[in-house]
Amino acid sequence: MEIPDSSLVDGLRQTADEETLAALVSQYASTLYRVAFSVLRNAADAEDAVQEAFLRVLRHRQTLDEVRDRRVWLIRIVWNIVLDRKRRLKTRPETDDVAELARVLPSDDLSAEQITSAAQHHAHVLACVERLPVKEREVLMLSAFEELNSVEIASVLEISESSVRSRLFRARNLMAGLLDYSRSGQRRSLR
Amino acid sequence: MNDQVRNGNSNDAVAGGAPGEAEATLRLIASLPPPQGLEERLHASLAEAPRRGRVLAWPAALNPGSAWMRSAAAAAIVSVVVGGGWGVYSRIPHAQQARSVILAPRGPAQGGFATAGAMRMPQTLNGPVVAHPQAAQPVEDKPAGKGAAPIVRNAPKPPNRASSASAEVTRIHVALQPAK
Repeated sequence: MEIPDSSLVDGLRQTADEETLAALVSQYASTLYRVAFSVLRNAADAEDAVQEAFLRVLRHRQTLDEVRDRRVWLIRIVWNIVLDRKRRLKTRPETDDVAELARVLPSDDLSAEQITSAAQHHAHVLACVERLPVKEREVLMLSAFEELNSVEIASVLEISESSVRSRLFRARNLMAGLLDYSRSGQRRSLR
Repeated sequence: MNDQVRNGNSNDAVAGGAPGEAEATLRLIASLPPPQGLEERLHASLAEAPRRGRVLAWPAALNPGSAWMRSAAAAAIVSVVVGGGWGVYSRIPHAQQARSVILAPRGPAQGGFATAGAMRMPQTLNGPVVAHPQAAQPVEDKPAGKGAAPIVRNAPKPPNRASSASAEVTRIHVALQPAK
């Protein structure tokens, strides 16, 4: 029996890894982009973050076989990348959320005025989300993804499922308080 | 997938109002479609990525996987390790062997107690030293009278009974001799 050359085996393995990686890109690029965009709210930054996530996967492609749930694993990678980037971007002046939202939000059958009004509303809500404590904010943002259940959110954040539920409950209560407070402030200023 | 374990949008949500608005906004942003050509750009960047790290390509003759290259690499590593070790060993002066100090067994001090074979003894003050009698130079007292025999004090004891008897005879002879 002829023993196969080690370089040939390495080449075959590398080809298989590259094929697996290409399949992962095709399958999860969209999900990862949306996760990245929900945190960074900038298309170019979100795309860079997704690219960096796949490059990390490429560097550690030998461990792909050990990963149980690749989707959650990829989301966790991109989540850590975007949080890190956001921390660094805080030193930069904040981008104009309203204009960016007006550009990216769907605008079917809406006038320019309605689009601007909707963008302002969403920007206001997002500003309130930013004022939440980090733990509650992270759970609330991840809960917005339909494809992630509480077990998967717990896996991404590396916490228990009960912690996810309690944080989500607190986040919703805090958001209610923040939005009510801002609305009452607006009413007072109008009078 | 099971709806029960979904993120709780239906079960835990506070009814209506502001939290619903917030989640609607977040859901709207989370559902935005990715830009056109994202996948192609990612594929292209991943295809380029492994080549970026390779600065110099190995020539075909120096294939790192070949047996003789591995042997040469192993020999080079061994020579570096051994040479370095020898360089260090030859420069450092050899430490002399530690001399073990052998202490003479201490005998019992004059007039003191014995050590009873103890390995260590505390440093103690020297005890009083008893002066030895001068056995070699016996002191002669002055004779009491002219005919009296000299009394020898501190004289060493005669070794045996015969010599003491002869000494007694000598003393008698001396006593009986008339004074000149």
